[in-house]
Amino acid sequence: MSQTLSLSQTTLDAVDRFRARKVSVEVEARPLSAELPTPTSFNPAARKAYYFYLMAPAIALLAFISLYPFFWLIVMAFQKGDMGAVEWVGFKNFTDLASDGRFLSGWVLLFKYSAMCLFLQVGIGVLLAVIVNGSRYEKFLVTALLMPMMMAPAVAGLLWLFLYNGTFGWYHWIFQSLGILETGSILSSAKTSMYALVLVDVWQWTPLITLIALAGLKRVPRDQMEANMVDGASPARNFFAIVMPNLYPVLLIAVLLRFMDNFRFIDHILVLTGGGPANSTKILPIYLFEVAFKFFDLGRGAAIALVLLVVTIILGKILVGVFDRPTSGGR
Amino acid sequence: MFYTPKKAIHSRISRRRFLELGGAGATMLGTGSLAVGLNSTIMASRVSAQSSDEAKWKQFAGSKLVFLSENTPPSFAIREKLTAFYDLTGITVEILTDDLPVVQQKAGIDLRSGTADYVLQYSQDKPIGAPFADFYADMTPMFGDETLPQDPEGYGDDVWFDNFLTACGRFYDGNRVMALPYDAAIACTFYRKDIFEANTKDFEAEYGYRLEYTNDTTWQNVLDFATFFKKAKEAGKDVPYGYAQHQGSFAWTTQLDIQRMCFANGRWIDYAIDDKLGSKTPGATNWGDEQSVLILEKFKALADVSHPDNLANGTLELNTVYQSGNIAMQVQYHEFAASVEDEGTSLAAGGKTGYAPCPKGAPDWIKNGGEAVNGTNCGIGGISINANADEALQRAAYIFAQWSTSADNQYEVLKGLGGTPTRKSVLARPEVVAAGQRPSTMPNALTFDPVYNFGIKDPNFTLGPKIPKANEYHSIIASTTQRMLSGELDAAATGAELKAQLDELNAG
Repeated sequence: MSQTLSLSQTTLDAVDRFRARKVSVEVEARPLSAELPTPTSFNPAARKAYYFYLMAPAIALLAFISLYPFFWLIVMAFQKGDMGAVEWVGFKNFTDLASDGRFLSGWVLLFKYSAMCLFLQVGIGVLLAVIVNGSRYEKFLVTALLMPMMMAPAVAGLLWLFLYNGTFGWYHWIFQSLGILETGSILSSAKTSMYALVLVDVWQWTPLITLIALAGLKRVPRDQMEANMVDGASPARNFFAIVMPNLYPVLLIAVLLRFMDNFRFIDHILVLTGGGPANSTKILPIYLFEVAFKFFDLGRGAAIALVLLVVTIILGKILVGVFDRPTSGGR
Repeated sequence: MFYTPKKAIHSRISRRRFLELGGAGATMLGTGSLAVGLNSTIMASRVSAQSSDEAKWKQFAGSKLVFLSENTPPSFAIREKLTAFYDLTGITVEILTDDLPVVQQKAGIDLRSGTADYVLQYSQDKPIGAPFADFYADMTPMFGDETLPQDPEGYGDDVWFDNFLTACGRFYDGNRVMALPYDAAIACTFYRKDIFEANTKDFEAEYGYRLEYTNDTTWQNVLDFATFFKKAKEAGKDVPYGYAQHQGSFAWTTQLDIQRMCFANGRWIDYAIDDKLGSKTPGATNWGDEQSVLILEKFKALADVSHPDNLANGTLELNTVYQSGNIAMQVQYHEFAASVEDEGTSLAAGGKTGYAPCPKGAPDWIKNGGEAVNGTNCGIGGISINANADEALQRAAYIFAQWSTSADNQYEVLKGLGGTPTRKSVLARPEVVAAGQRPSTMPNALTFDPVYNFGIKDPNFTLGPKIPKANEYHSIIASTTQRMLSGELDAAATGAELKAQLDELNAG
């Protein structure tokens, strides 16, 4: 009797699984807001050790190329001197940073630069995604938009260096013709050079935000939008009440990516200004590069790198927390 | 798997036996490779090397040297001659070239980590030589060593142009030589004779003297020239700017730019140390004193009437501005004459450019009681040997170093790619003497008289402080001066800021 009951239960489970699979295909074809149960597997779960063995070679490789240098970096941050001949100085490298004007101004400039880049990239990126989404030329536009992103940042820097050049630069001529610039080039003034760098970053990386936002737009549940429209909402209202809350999770990824990139990508800045003029573009990663590889003060460089890493992690956590907060129109 | 006939005579190899045989085979292969490798690396004997000239050159045959160099003409030209060097010595040389900042980084990592991936290195006097001097081999024991081939001219101070050997080869200690002079970039004045001539009447009417450039032209005159051209330009006249500075992102040349003016006026220098040898403990800086503050004021005044892209123009960009006809005058490194005289790319070519020494100090600008001179600075690139390499490899590297700096090679580089010789004997060759006059087949030779016969000689020559933290020093000078030029600081505050930062740098 119990065996009969057990068999019929198994049959019922199997039927449920097939239902689930059927529903999941519909979800792919036309996103729905309701979350569906994950189909269970017919196979027994493998032991955890099995997965560990599979990952072991990759973990070992990662440890060799990434973790070992990271721990070495921590050790160096407490030392002063050259490779090979070092002196243990405790926290001195860190305490000295508190009175290092270039370190402190590096932070200010980094936040200023990151904030401008993120604000413009998210704004323009989402706008472009909305324009491109559903356009007749969507595929062409997406391909065209991706082109700057495919360029190596150092090459992009060189390209813009020529465009900004005060002697033969095309953009220099446009800026002057529009009355934005006076006689000097955009890179020759401490007041404008930061904007020149932001423009390059926005040009190169806004397409990434567009691409991610476009993927997010494709996943906005139509049932919610249709219900909202039936209730009489305007397209704008629909965008802010339905589309944007559904975009938050993908935008979080985009913003996080760009935020971290801004903290570490310095290629185009090195090519365009090298941190000048008058330190006006010497954001912290540029200063870190100088200290470590121009001045060869590796202990101080390691201390700056560690502080930069810790702050990046903390800010990343805060950012995730902000985006994770439930919103009225969304999750 | 395979068919085996019945009663076939065959033996089966056990796994242990297989491993034993494999191990033995690997050991034999390893030993053989090691023997071949050692034979092709360094298996020289000093006794046999002395037997003949050929033996001296060939004693390190089979070895390989890597030379890390800046992308300057000598390295390109010598790369083309490596086959000849191989035929002479049997030594394979690989020359890697890059921009100076990259060379600096790679050299620093190689030297400081105790390796010798780059046995030969291009060591520019202050940016590479000053911070890494202790990591280069002293060449003096190899000079005159009878077991090594030697240059017939020798290596004394007298065979190189004035101050060259000390500038790139001696650091903190006059008895050791860390580099042989390989190439040079000496500052001199490039000015547009045609533009000066066309505007001299108007200039004379306003300033009371002719618009012309001579060895006695002072920095005050340059300020007048720049002011005149700027006013004329603003009045709508079709003239270029008068002058432009090197205040772009390359900190070293930015520092050299202000240093020239400081030295010209009273031979002012940053520290009370031997300017040519340098010091590891330079002590307190002179920045912030009355003389330096006055020169900072004048430097700012000159910037205000110079080309508006001053703060974006590094040395290369500045030369482009000059070649495109946007300035009437620049203080530039003499190696750029070849590009300025290229009619395909330069509006200043075709006899329009005159070459003269750097401007002289103005008596009114001297407060320290010093002399007014034509303050001339430079970058002397040396070829150095990595001290991390073993002794035999260092000796092999020495053979290349002395060969690459020989007079014959320097002459061919000058003739072919527009090099800048470092040996005096090159200048004495009739072809080079003839090239000093237009039309010239070697445009760099047009600068040789103001540079080698005047600017580089004492009392005009200055090198600037050779200190271990030279690169951070350059960075501080460049960024603080730029802050003054941007209007963020006045001259007195700039002097005080420089003093505070530099004293902290050398104390730390």
